[in-house]
Formats: sequence, structure tokens, C-alpha cells
Amino acid sequence: MSELIKMRDVTKVYPLGQTEVHALRGVNVSIKKGEFISIIGPSGSGKSTLMHIIGCLDVATSGTYFLRGKDVSKMDGNQLADIRKEFIGFIFQDFYLLPDVPAWYNVSLPMIYNRVAPKERKKKAVVILESVGLGDRVNHLPNQLSGGERQRVAIARALANEPEIIIADEPTGNLDSVRGEEILEILSDLHEKGKTIIIVSHEKYVAERGKRKIYLKDGRVEGKN
Amino acid sequence: MFSGFLLEILRSSVESIKANKLRSFLTTLGIVIGVMTVIGVMSVISGFQKYIATSFSQLGANVLYVSKYPWGFGMSREEWKKIQRREDIGLKEAEALKEYGTSFKYVSPSILRNMKMEKDDKEAEDVQIEGASEDFSRITNREVSLGRFLSKDDIKYMRHVCVLGQDVVNALFPEENPIGKKVKIQGRQFSVIGIMKEKGKMMGQSMDNTAFIPYTTMTAFTGKRISINIAVYAEEGKETEEEIRWILRGVRDLKPGEEDDFSINSSEALISQFNQMTSTFLMISIAIAAISLVVGGIGIMNIMLVSVSERTREIGVRKAIGAKSGEILGQFLMESVVICLFGGFLGIILGASLTKLISLMSNGNVPFHIPIWSIILGFGFCFTIGVFFGYYPARKASKLSPVEALRYE
Repeated sequence: MSELIKMRDVTKVYPLGQTEVHALRGVNVSIKKGEFISIIGPSGSGKSTLMHIIGCLDVATSGTYFLRGKDVSKMDGNQLADIRKEFIGFIFQDFYLLPDVPAWYNVSLPMIYNRVAPKERKKKAVVILESVGLGDRVNHLPNQLSGGERQRVAIARALANEPEIIIADEPTGNLDSVRGEEILEILSDLHEKGKTIIIVSHEKYVAERGKRKIYLKDGRVEGKN
Repeated sequence: MFSGFLLEILRSSVESIKANKLRSFLTTLGIVIGVMTVIGVMSVISGFQKYIATSFSQLGANVLYVSKYPWGFGMSREEWKKIQRREDIGLKEAEALKEYGTSFKYVSPSILRNMKMEKDDKEAEDVQIEGASEDFSRITNREVSLGRFLSKDDIKYMRHVCVLGQDVVNALFPEENPIGKKVKIQGRQFSVIGIMKEKGKMMGQSMDNTAFIPYTTMTAFTGKRISINIAVYAEEGKETEEEIRWILRGVRDLKPGEEDDFSINSSEALISQFNQMTSTFLMISIAIAAISLVVGGIGIMNIMLVSVSERTREIGVRKAIGAKSGEILGQFLMESVVICLFGGFLGIILGASLTKLISLMSNGNVPFHIPIWSIILGFGFCFTIGVFFGYYPARKASKLSPVEALRYE
């Protein structure tokens, strides 16, 4: 399997008032296509920062990051947006659905930016919602859905542009363990179908799902990678 | 495909405005009032201009009136005194114009006096009696509907004949054909030789309460020492006005360098003078409306800034799923433009209603007329304001870093 993600000596420094916060202090990570990775570590260890950089939401202060062989660390905002649009799907702890529009529209949102024709968008959104078991919730607003259902809508949204990588940031953090398990099942399924899955979590039972774990502590990766 | 995206952000703009109906409405109120003023003022003025134009054009297109007094407004007291001291214009001038004019053929004195007309026991008060020549019907493009107009011989032999306007016919001859019948004007007997075609109203006054008699006969009523008007038919493209000037300067013995002591008036000049005056008023109104629109625009900017900060999370999500800065900018710009255009739409409706109201209150004297360009201008204003005042908030939204936007609580 080819190397999908390759990070070398990545650091991230935030200014914080007069001082600086060193969120990442030289991280080396390689992830192959189709892997199921858990990024774990205590809070403040830099796992969110690492996730943001992997997901091209943020750029490293120094170091190199190759995604699919391309140097992402030199890209501008629009190029990063294109990468996110085409290759990455995000799932957040708080779902982050638009509250005023139905489930299908939330799912179709990424396709708008991918310039998919309106009719096709809806058709495809419905198909994806069916695949996560929400075929009967297509026209529901987010506040008419349970937490687990909302997170499934969010997964469907992450899948809309058929990305290679799914990044889930504490995907079960706001769910009870039963609903959490359901979400993890879906992610495992996606892994089976060949998606590269990266879960960020501090919960053990979530992290256990990963086929490989990356431990972060004080901005460094512990153990070998 | 790009237009599909525009349609999408248009749609989402409408959705987000619908989600905040009251707020959007209050926000756009300044725009509504501004546009309403623009539309209202423009429509009333343009209606009024139309009304004035149609009224005065009844004096006859291409007709020049030589008079002692200039038509129009805005003269100073000194100018007015000077004009009053001018030598009267008399038949001498009319005859000279008729004789020497080369670029024009038709000349007629126009001596007006309101007098009483009688027929047996019926009478018509305050009829406008006009002393004119045989050319007058051609000059003013007015024709008889029955009988004939004044002839050269009528003038030459100072005949007591008259051509009646429709109102006079209605008053004196309700049931019989007046041709050949006798009427009395100020006690003197006249034979009716014709009836003029009906003309309607000008400035709310009937133009048909009138009678024409030979100007030579008219002087019997007025005496010769009276300042008259002379109507001249100016053919298209000829320097008639210049020629009239030179003939009159000759007749009135003006030396080179001396100012003209007569006025050459036309309905066109009067209309354009009137339009100039109303245009100034229009400009002032538009300036006031513009201030209201700018205030409205600031309101829009304010609410858009609130909206951007309320929806920071949404912006973060959109960016995370691949929206470019330009697309976020476009979305918020579209929202501000849509709010403004919505305000413009309301303003146009209210402005049109206002105009309708004014038209009704004036008994239709000011016609209900919304100029297309005022609507275009109204929408244009709104669009510009939407873009101008929406740009800063939209740019602010587009510049948000995705990570910070997602973290925003």
C-alpha cells in the first residue's frame, strides 16, 4: 500500500499573549491508504492540532507534510480548500449540522462546493443517508433527530464527495455508549470498504477500534511510527 | 455550473433571511424609505412634467409667439421693470413679419380678450375672444369641424364674423346648427361661419370656451393701442427665430448692440424651462433619498456583521467541507444584496402606492406614471448598497481561519 500521509518534523506554534504555545514539537507520522488509525493522548497533548494539520484545516509552522505525494505545507488557502473538498471528510464531536435545513441538504452541502448539479445532489444525498440507515429521516431537521442520528447525518455529509480519508474528532463524545458503538460500527464498515479512517479520541473503547494507534504526549509521538 | 452555484447561494440567502424575518425587515427599512422616496418623487415629478408638456403643447408645436413679455419664471424685479417699459407690439410688427418673412409663411396676430356672448336669451360668460388672421388655424394646427375658418377677405373687410369653440356652441346653440346664425359679442352682432374641433383642457381649463374673429375687427373692441401677440409657424429646420428677430429689430429701429425689446416665446422653451426647475427639485430629493439609503446601508453592514459572528461555526463547517474564501465571500455578499433588493422591492411598491395616492388626490391632474428608469435606478441603488456595505462583513467571514471558526463558541 502506498503512503497516503507522510509528515516529517512537523511543529505547530501558536502565539498566546506574550508567550507561545508549542502544540506540536516535531511529529513524524506516516499513514498508508486504507489504514484505520486512532490518535490518542491526554488533553493538551496536541492531538486536535495534529488532526487539523492532517485534515488541511491548518498548516504546520515548520516541517513537511506530503498528502498523496503532494507537499501540502506550501499550499495556500484555496488549494487547501480543494484538498479538503476532494480527499477529506470530517466528523465532529458536536456534529456541526446547519440547524435550519433538512438532513438531505446538510449532506448535499459539500457537493455544492464540488459543483454537482442540484438534482443529482439531492439524489446522491438520499442514497448516502440510506446507506447510514437514515432513509426515513431525509427531510427531518437536525433538531428532530436524536444525537446518534445527527452524527450519522454528519457521517453522510463527510461521505458526500467520496473522500479517501475520513477524520473523526471525538465522534462519540456526545453520545451514549450504545449510540457510540453504532457510529463506530459505521466507521469500521467504511474502513472495510477501503476508506482511510483517522479517529481522534481520548476514550479507550473508541481508540481500541483503530488497527494502529498513535499516542501523543506533549506535542510528540510516543513510541515508534 | 457556476450559475448553479450562484443559484445555490441565492437560495441559501433567501433561506437565512426567511429564518430572520423581523430582523431582515427592520434592517432593510432605511432602504425601503430611500427607494420609496426616489420612486415617489420621480414619479410625481415625471407625471407632472408629462402633464405640463401635454398641456403646453396644445399651444401648438413649432409655434413661436412674439410678445412684449417673455414666458416663464424666475425673473428679477429689475428685469421685470425693464420689460414693462418696452414699447408695445402692434399690428405693424405682424404686418412686417407677414411681408418680409422668407423662412416662414404663416403669421397671425393673437389678440385676446374675455367677453360675454349672447344669442337671444342665452348667454356665455367670459368667452375667450381671439382676434386672429386666416393663417391662425394652420399655425396652431386647429381645424373647423363645421363651416369654415376666417378668410383673407374677412380680415381685409373687417367683417363681423366668428368661428365658435365647442363650449360656446353648447351654451348658445344647444339644439340648432349655428352656421349662418347671429350672435352678439359685447353688444355687437356677428355671423357664425364655423365651429372649431374640440380641443379639451389645458391646466384644468377648457380650451373650447373660445371664439375667433378677424383681428381687424377685434381692434374695434380693443383700440389700436394695445400690445398684441404674434403667432408664427416655424417650419422644422429653419432659422425662423433668427429671421423674426432681424425683422423686428428693423421695424422697431433697434441699433446694433441694443438689446431686443421683445420676446420670442415657444411652448417648447417654456416646457424645458419648467423641466429645468423641476429637475433641480428632483436632484434635491434624490440627494435626500441617497442619505437615507446610505443610512440604510450602514444598518445592513451592522446586521451583516452580527450575522457573520452568529454564524461563525457555520462558516467553519463550510470551510472544512471545502468552501473557498471566495465562495464564503460570495454567500454573504449575496445575502446583503438580497436583503437590499428586497428592501428596494418594498420601496418601489410603497413609492408606487404613494404616487397613485397623489394622483387620486389631484383628481387625475397629475397622471399616475412610474418611469421605468426610476425602477431601474431604485434597484441599481439597492444593488450597489448591498455590495458596498456587504463587502466588509462578507470579507471578514471569508478570512476566518477554519480552525478558529470551528472552535468558536
